[in-house]
Amino acid sequence: MTGAPVPRRLPFAEAVRQRTLANGARLFVLENRFNPTVALSGSLQAGRLYAPPDRRLVASMTAGELMKGTARRTKLQLAEDLESRAASLSFSSDAGDPVGVDVSGGSLSRDADLLLDALVEVLRSPAFPAEELEKEKKRLVGSIRQQQEQTSIRAFESALRRIYPPAHPLHRLTAAQRIARVEALDRAALEAFYAERYGAASLALIVVGDVEAGRVLDRLEAALGSWKAGPAPAIPAPPIPPAAPGSETVRVPEKANADVVLALPSDLTRTDPDFLPCSLANAALGQSSLTSRLGVRVRDTEGLTYGIHSSFSATHVAGPFVASLTVKPESRDAALAATQDEIRKYVAGGMTEKELAEEKSSRIGRFKVDLGSNSGIASALDAAIYYGFGVAYLDEFPAKVAAVTKAQADAAFARRVRPDAFTIVSAGTFPA
Amino acid sequence: MSAGSYELLGEKAGFREFRLKANGLRVLLLQNRVAPVATFAVVYHVGSRNEAVGHTGATHLLEHLMFKGTPEFDRAKGTAVAAVLEALGARFNATTWFDRTNYYETVPSDALETAFAIEASRMRRALLRDEDRVPEMTVVRNEFERGENSPFQVLYKQTFATAFREHPYHHPTIGWRSDIEGMATERLREFYDTFYHPNNATAMVIGDFEEAGALAAVERHFGAIPASPRPIPEVYTVEPPQEGERRFIVRRAGESAWCGLSWRTVEARHADTPPFAVLESILGGGITSRLHQALVEKSLALGVNVVAWQLRDPALFSVFAPVRPGVEPAEVEKVIRQEIARIASESVTEAECEKARTQLEAQVIFDRDSTDQIAASLSEAIAVADWEWYADYPAAIARVTPADVQRVVLAYLHDDALTVGLYLPKEPAGGALESDDEAETAS
Repeated sequence: MTGAPVPRRLPFAEAVRQRTLANGARLFVLENRFNPTVALSGSLQAGRLYAPPDRRLVASMTAGELMKGTARRTKLQLAEDLESRAASLSFSSDAGDPVGVDVSGGSLSRDADLLLDALVEVLRSPAFPAEELEKEKKRLVGSIRQQQEQTSIRAFESALRRIYPPAHPLHRLTAAQRIARVEALDRAALEAFYAERYGAASLALIVVGDVEAGRVLDRLEAALGSWKAGPAPAIPAPPIPPAAPGSETVRVPEKANADVVLALPSDLTRTDPDFLPCSLANAALGQSSLTSRLGVRVRDTEGLTYGIHSSFSATHVAGPFVASLTVKPESRDAALAATQDEIRKYVAGGMTEKELAEEKSSRIGRFKVDLGSNSGIASALDAAIYYGFGVAYLDEFPAKVAAVTKAQADAAFARRVRPDAFTIVSAGTFPA
Repeated sequence: MSAGSYELLGEKAGFREFRLKANGLRVLLLQNRVAPVATFAVVYHVGSRNEAVGHTGATHLLEHLMFKGTPEFDRAKGTAVAAVLEALGARFNATTWFDRTNYYETVPSDALETAFAIEASRMRRALLRDEDRVPEMTVVRNEFERGENSPFQVLYKQTFATAFREHPYHHPTIGWRSDIEGMATERLREFYDTFYHPNNATAMVIGDFEEAGALAAVERHFGAIPASPRPIPEVYTVEPPQEGERRFIVRRAGESAWCGLSWRTVEARHADTPPFAVLESILGGGITSRLHQALVEKSLALGVNVVAWQLRDPALFSVFAPVRPGVEPAEVEKVIRQEIARIASESVTEAECEKARTQLEAQVIFDRDSTDQIAASLSEAIAVADWEWYADYPAAIARVTPADVQRVVLAYLHDDALTVGLYLPKEPAGGALESDDEAETAS
């Protein structure tokens, strides 16, 4: 069907206005005036990789406490000012990406100034009030205790604990250890980490929506230009541990469903030239519970699971390759055997040309679909900038996907996924 | 398209609704050209509300089988619906809820025709083979089991089962376990033949498309499908008024405790729905909301979830909170009751109302950022009322005053209409952490 198409967009490389400030902050703005909203995304390098191994938690706590008050506004005032305009702003640093702190926000375009001003105020003058930290510590301890009943979390965390040694940023502590670390944290630790890690040099901000690019750039420059640079971007690579083949059962009482995780350490980072070949190869094996090989066999044909997936956790830091599935406890052995069988066959035989063609077409189409909103564009730009690819990556991405060959995909995947080296953890209620 | 194939039923706020004269299919169009993508969705007016004892979960199981095969899109031939959509890069799925089943796909706009072809094919030509149902039953059973792992899901299912005794909102959309296991393929076919017809569906196209072309394509794919041979059965069961507070307790191993309070309220179309939406926001919308302040900031709960359920028939107003380990669930229940009583006696402020109205009105604008978000919101609206209800919603919200909010609290949120549910740990608090050491290794 044809019709009057959406007016052709300029290439992103031309349409996105950029400015780098003297202190290193990088600003990117894309005007997209179809809807009166604005999406904010961004990052800086202040994740757990930069925290001492015995205090990794300070990174996520510092990011999480940023919104708890500034030199000028209490947490409640800040929340009132944003919520009363239906604006949102958040900072987080999750354990899966040891490098970055994620910035995320949005508002109606009429409130863009309010959003940007709050962003800068929070970044530059967080207060870390002691009473807020105490509240958050209590909440977090309660959450950690309740999470112990979640079979998915128990299986995943146990697998990572077996693979990554305590000094590695992807190591996971036990709940008891984590609670002890939370309880030992004080605001001085947060302030010190903030003083050491936060600054403009690794900051990138992306604004997409119904705004005037020049005005946004000027406003952000005026507000951020005098911020300290802080540490220059640098990402020390933690050593890749050897595989830790073996299996473990974590018993969680009275759970109807069990979770099974198969994990391997991998050397794949998001910036590795093998990333796209590996990612396409993985898509055919386990990206979709409905259409990938694992899904077709274990879900669609054998009916043993509702959800089965595999993926590489590749950020700036090489994370694990993980396949995971949910099962009725009595079906675990059959489901696990089928999963391992499919992975073995796939690694031995590689993908078919047809699978590769379909995964390429899927990836390119999905990329286009994901760029269908201000927040989708902001996320895609953020990722391209965070990983150092630059804005033009969004224009080049389809061609890069199209260029991957079957030989590349098969070799890159087989080199990393060794079917006999998995750490296998199941969590749930199993017969003794 | 012959200009006479459709009847224009109405237009408002950019929406245009047509009726395909040949079979009664409603077609709703909204151009939203933010990007070269479009969402096609078909909403069937059938959900777990249309089920009864013995075949709870039929709507949902049928939704799963709709991915298995039609003569045109068949996994046995390598042309499974999911594979075709995946290759397009589509964002797609199907979901079942109390009042509806919906199928949707967001695609590059030049691939819309494929979406039409798929949905037309499965509207009347699903194969519903027994050899597909057998493995899919266990897939759905695992979905049920996953839900049973979640204290919140257990609590909310039990809440509906307790608050509704006669009306089919009593049973969950996923169904009861033994019904999922026992339902025959023939029963599913009967269900399909009763409810899957063009005159029981609304198709919507949202995004980057041209109207005449889209209408012609929809007619090409759906026009030859006849209307249902018999009228679509109506649900006539009415839940009688509740005559006293109901309470239940679920005890499971672990440390999680949850507290839920739910009051019987109104159907989505009711004039009191907008005040309840504002109340939901005042009580649970963000850090500044009353219950977040009273529960989370006081370290009594780990969070709070307030839901003014909007359903086709009278539903519930619910507050659910995970209790912080070490806190008595009774304390959380008391605080929730106090906060409701405070609104009953003192009302809410104009500033609170204004904030809630701003948030609800902004949500409609945020929806327009992406075609699938509009489709999702619109699907719910069509299931419980109609698209005009969605179009008029911001204006209805804008009229809500503090007095309206106080009035609905006084009128509905009283103890006789209340169901209190507690999810409690079997073991005394503090006992479960040694499960860390229970891991056993076999390597």
